[in-house]
Amino acid sequence: MEYWTWWKGALALGGLTVVCALMVGRMLGVSGAWANVVNWRENREKRKTAAALRSNAPAMQNALLAATLAEFGESATHQAFANQGITLPTQPVARALPTSGVSCTVHLTFLAAMVLGGFLAAIASGHFELRLDLGAAHTRLFGAGLHEWVALLIGGMLVGFGTQMGGGCTSGHGLSGVSRLTPPSLLATAMFFGSAVAVSFIVEGFA
Amino acid sequence: MKLSPLQQHLRYGLLGMLMGITLSYIGFTNYHETHKMFLFADLRMLFTFAGAVAFAAFFFNVLVQGLPSSNKHLHPGVIPGSLIFGAGWAISGSCPSIALVQIGEGQLAAVFTAFGILFGVWSYRHVHRRFFRWDSGSCS
Repeated sequence: MEYWTWWKGALALGGLTVVCALMVGRMLGVSGAWANVVNWRENREKRKTAAALRSNAPAMQNALLAATLAEFGESATHQAFANQGITLPTQPVARALPTSGVSCTVHLTFLAAMVLGGFLAAIASGHFELRLDLGAAHTRLFGAGLHEWVALLIGGMLVGFGTQMGGGCTSGHGLSGVSRLTPPSLLATAMFFGSAVAVSFIVEGFA
Repeated sequence: MKLSPLQQHLRYGLLGMLMGITLSYIGFTNYHETHKMFLFADLRMLFTFAGAVAFAAFFFNVLVQGLPSSNKHLHPGVIPGSLIFGAGWAISGSCPSIALVQIGEGQLAAVFTAFGILFGVWSYRHVHRRFFRWDSGSCS
């Protein structure tokens, strides 16, 4: 099929990054949505704990103090408090806790809507076709059938693990982070793009 | 931004759908196109991506200021994680959104990619808690 020319795609993809920030007040990021969906149970426990602490100031102070002691050790903590004459804050801490944010079901809607978007685009452009491979270029490099599926499973695992470890993916680091000139995102984008180029040339060399 | 749950579902749903349509029409879901991009054999999608970043950068840095900032933090996982992700992208032709769009297009092999991503995301949490525990910049 005939794909969009580069400037048309750039306007659409860049526009989407902007529209996302305007529509939901958060920067676009797909690997974060995956994490929210996959880790829903743990996140729910965290939100419960946070809500319980938020409504109970003394318990929260104790929890914060315990975390500080665990992180920096007893003598260093006492030293720091004594040096700066700090008393434990009461009000601002409650506001510093993460608010409930967006629930995992909303992120699930986001991911499911992408499947729908792909379906609509394929129908509209007339290239919808049920198939069990990723096309001739992929089978040429990785084999057909089981070989290809195993390659996709391994590749997917690397994508899932790597994006969580690196704190973002093409959308979160590449589009959102780089457009805001965030240093970690510039670094991450250079790394994952460089790595993808290197692996592509290696794979092509072995084929 | 305060939104009711229904508004959130509708807005995120609309964004996801538009993203799926956009990625499909750009050709990011076509392994051949992606592979050609990484080999620098076809610069169209490279220009697309660079243009998208430039457009968004112009908007965020020149036109409108004070929108939510990107909350990315530098931690020891950024470089190795991104290198691993890049390798996976080259092998599967998929970043986290692409596998889903491919499934919608009928490229059912991407179900394997999606399960791989699922397992990768799930396993990272356990590996991180067991071995790394570095501060990735947020309490959640």
